[in-house]
Amino acid sequence: MHAMGTRFEIAAEGNDERQLRAACEAALAEIEEWDARLTLFKPSSFLSYINTHAAAQPVQLDDDLFELIAESIAVHRASQGAFDITLAPVMRAWGFHKSHDSREPTIHSRGCISADAPDHTPPCTPADLPFGMSDLELDEAQRTIRFKREGMALDLGGIAKGHALDLAASILRESGVRSALLHGGTSTVIGINAISTRAGADHWPVQLGFDQPGITVKLRDAALSVSAPHGRTIHMDGAELGHIIDPRSGAPARGTRLAAVVAPSARLADAWSTALLVLGRRPPDIPDSFTTLIARDTDEGVDRRIEGAEPRLFLLTARRAIIEEEEPYDRL
Amino acid sequence: MTDCDRRTFLTQAGGAVAALSFLPEFATAAPQPTDGPLPVALVGVGRQGRSILGELQKMQESAAVVAICDSDDRRLRSGARRAAGAEAFADHRAMLEKRKDIQAIFIATPTHAHRQVAVDALQAGRHVYCEAPIAATIEDCRAIASAARSAPGLCQPGLQGRSDPIYKLAWSFFRSDAIRDLISMRGQYHRKTTWRTPTSDPARDKLLNWRLDPEVSIGLAGEFGTHQFDVFHWYTDRYPTTIVGAGDIRLHDDGRTVADTVDCNLTFTGGAHLQYNATLANSFEGRHEVLCGSNGAIKLAWTHGWMFKEADAPTQGWEVYANRQQFHNDEGITLIADATKLAAQGKLKEGVGLPNDPLYYSITDFFNSIVKNEPVVCSIEEGMRATAVGILANRAIVTGEAVTIDDSILKGS
Repeated sequence: MHAMGTRFEIAAEGNDERQLRAACEAALAEIEEWDARLTLFKPSSFLSYINTHAAAQPVQLDDDLFELIAESIAVHRASQGAFDITLAPVMRAWGFHKSHDSREPTIHSRGCISADAPDHTPPCTPADLPFGMSDLELDEAQRTIRFKREGMALDLGGIAKGHALDLAASILRESGVRSALLHGGTSTVIGINAISTRAGADHWPVQLGFDQPGITVKLRDAALSVSAPHGRTIHMDGAELGHIIDPRSGAPARGTRLAAVVAPSARLADAWSTALLVLGRRPPDIPDSFTTLIARDTDEGVDRRIEGAEPRLFLLTARRAIIEEEEPYDRL
Repeated sequence: MTDCDRRTFLTQAGGAVAALSFLPEFATAAPQPTDGPLPVALVGVGRQGRSILGELQKMQESAAVVAICDSDDRRLRSGARRAAGAEAFADHRAMLEKRKDIQAIFIATPTHAHRQVAVDALQAGRHVYCEAPIAATIEDCRAIASAARSAPGLCQPGLQGRSDPIYKLAWSFFRSDAIRDLISMRGQYHRKTTWRTPTSDPARDKLLNWRLDPEVSIGLAGEFGTHQFDVFHWYTDRYPTTIVGAGDIRLHDDGRTVADTVDCNLTFTGGAHLQYNATLANSFEGRHEVLCGSNGAIKLAWTHGWMFKEADAPTQGWEVYANRQQFHNDEGITLIADATKLAAQGKLKEGVGLPNDPLYYSITDFFNSIVKNEPVVCSIEEGMRATAVGILANRAIVTGEAVTIDDSILKGS
């Protein structure tokens, strides 16, 4: 199923095919619904409604969306500002929101940006663009959101996929599905239990494909998200720039090749993997139970650092996985 | 109408009339206008109910959802998460009794449960938006229509085609003879899905999977066909007189008895035929309606529409500048709502579909009727006719017998 600009898939195990099919359909419909609600690229989405109205007046949110935004703010704080959901104007200025054939950065060298507004706004610095989590006002009692500055716009691209997968996984569980693997774009994955027919398999092994030999992540009631600068890129002054913006500078993050996070929920894994790609290190306020992998390019090669602890989860190098005679599923 | 149908309807009507006697004493008065957003409520918080909540969320200046209602506790709880601040009720009568501030009620319960809610809400003096098909039996349709006629509030069936800007544009072309003499009509609903709501609780299975329950389900022709039959009624001002049909389980052989694939032929007054096909086994070309005339054809696909001209048909001035799409050997002129306005804004080429879901326009029309006194875009009579045709098409499919439709059914007498 295609949503959020990528492909979503579910593999579910069980004996009752009738219920499994119905459950997977309901889970995919949930993802479709969230895609329609949170897309930046359709005027009919609720996100577009928020972006159009929240500077003029508070917009009433539902509980699901309120909690998503509140969680985004919490990750923003814990990550020392490395995760930010107000970057839509910056993404637009860098040309990441345009269609592929017309993607031209409207940024000028030496760090100056010209907002690509139709009225050809003169060049400006990132600081002049209307973004910043401190200008986001969330009213818990009223369940409303308000922008303190004109022109602000939310971009939930760093967390929406994980959020949709979490809700899809919860539909699968409520429907009685005891074992499933679901992913969005192969970069955010949830493993629900595992009752594989393979003897001894009580987890879903997922191989990270960025490196050789690869790293295998074993998921059991946990989520994995991987962020990397490649995918959506622009070229400027001979350099290839990735689509993940460092909110502290307003420019594309550089230096980190890949960040992966294993967390209890996909949306937290999603948000934190983005933050770690920006930071290039594990910050002190990330929960201890989250396992993280950060791969950085150094003069000596790729520096891979695996940190954190989570008893149910294992991050293994391929060599150790081979010792355990584990073979990763090739479903991704 | 076959004898079998008449007996069934009369029997079902008996039960429904008995239910009416338990109606509480509601004050019947025209809803009083309020300042600010219109207080509204939703009864039935399944997937369609949630779609309604989703559209209402984008109309915060016009309406505020102050109450939601569902007899299923899990759905009610998950629905409450989508309607911040709304009071949750398990029973619609308790809601009507307690929340006198509610001006309008959206009904998105299972089809066979519409009648009780609609009649109670109308008798309580509230405006009603009732999802289509409006009911699962003709007697229930009549009861709702009768309540609507004598109610002070409005009643709009959720037949979205009539509010769809592309359908309205194409309707104006059709009515101005753009395709000339009507030759034939066809419609289809293709979607690959089980049509089954998953649940791990067998006790909820019957409640949630009412579409697959032959006791209450009106099948694909009833649930989907009703919306599409109404488009043909609206365009042509004609109604079917006989229906023949057949149905089968072509893919989902999972113990169900409600057909996953149906075909029917509806003979309309004046002799034109409508071929209708619906399936849950294949998604090719989705959902659309086609009207073929001697000068061209119109194809309507809810968020998109096209007109195809015959070689000998005269060319209208606007066609020269219109966007076009190639369909194998045929070139379709894209029907774009507000094309002139979009062209003036330089946005004509950005997209040819509707910016919003058709449901958005249907709800907008409902509010415009309440607040601005605009005529109801789809009368309860038309809602009843389309639903009756859907019910009878399903009857023809289920029984395998030709169903004759007499005027009394469509007139609601």
